[in-house]
Amino acid sequence: MKTEYHPLVKRLLDGELMFADLPSELRAEAEQALRWVAALDRTPVALSARLDERVMAQVRRHAKSPAGRVWRWLLGSREIDIRFHVRPWALGFAAAAAVALVVVRPGLRTAPRSVPTYVRFIFYAPGARTVSVAGTFNQWNPAAAPLVPTTSPGVWTTTVALPLGQHQYAFVVDGMRWVPDPAAPTVDDGFGQRNSVVAVAAQDGGGRAL
Amino acid sequence: MRAAEPLSDGEVVHAILTGDVEQYAVLVKRYRDRYARYAARMLGSPDAAEDAVQDAFVRAFDQLAQCREPDKFAGWFFLILRNRCFAERRRSHRDARPLGMQDEAIAGPDRSDRHVERAEDRRALERALERLTPEQRDVFVLKHVEEMSYEEIAALTGASVPSLKMRMHRAYDRLRALLKELA
Repeated sequence: MKTEYHPLVKRLLDGELMFADLPSELRAEAEQALRWVAALDRTPVALSARLDERVMAQVRRHAKSPAGRVWRWLLGSREIDIRFHVRPWALGFAAAAAVALVVVRPGLRTAPRSVPTYVRFIFYAPGARTVSVAGTFNQWNPAAAPLVPTTSPGVWTTTVALPLGQHQYAFVVDGMRWVPDPAAPTVDDGFGQRNSVVAVAAQDGGGRAL
Repeated sequence: MRAAEPLSDGEVVHAILTGDVEQYAVLVKRYRDRYARYAARMLGSPDAAEDAVQDAFVRAFDQLAQCREPDKFAGWFFLILRNRCFAERRRSHRDARPLGMQDEAIAGPDRSDRHVERAEDRRALERALERLTPEQRDVFVLKHVEEMSYEEIAALTGASVPSLKMRMHRAYDRLRALLKELA
């Protein structure tokens, strides 16, 4: 038995073709495929009535925590004067290394939420077919910020505009492997993995990456 | 007397960000069940789904200031929940046992005699779905459990329709190979 479905059977599963549209030699394969899809469990899932209470108990704790206070400070509306600032990251890892450069446009004077702050991500991934950066700034969407290969073999880069605040991120290699930035600080993501962190904050006299 | 109009998501988010933390209960109540089935099918059990939904709500609260379109809180929350499911899948994938060594419990409670064949198919399918990548399982669940179109999935996740189709078609082939292995 082949292990790949015929393209027409895939289109049938996608709802783009009707069963009657298929040539007779594909109908046995199609029937088998439809049988599997029909077996899927689509019953609604009911969550515990106490879920709301548990969430709100955690939320109240977080709102009172020091981290919560920092979060509110970052939210606070302030007038700032951003000057040129570059943050070169150490690039010294033999196997894989990444660099994030934070570049704030010079001479801007505006409210924090509208400051275009450009973060350049550089990642060393020899042999990778695709690399992207996913984080809190793009809803962890691996397709939102692809890196492109540079003229240096194995080095990928992209630049992303970030709002002021703290951002967690990871590199996604070949669409599957999530790798924290080895040149950036990391935090526990709460799910047993590490996320890298870049923080862009307002500071008197200039923008600053923490 | 007319009943007061419920607050929009954007109004609720604004209230929370200006200090009324208790308003978050409105969003929790509004969206707690919307993606529960997705999480359960991604993670393999309602209990795991409940943990994921709870974690996602707490994380969404922590990151609420980064919700760029507060009136689209539901879609933004879904992406956080989805990321939580991906992280859990990646972790469990590392710990996964080989096919044929997994628990019967994966199949769920549907064991009535009239549906034995369907239940066996479902059991095999669940075991095969366990072996897909999180990205493949995600698009499969959204398409065939949540019964969304590619265009709807693209709008929700930000991925392009061609890339979703490619991922889906690879998932079909992978499932076929796994189901053959299980037969």
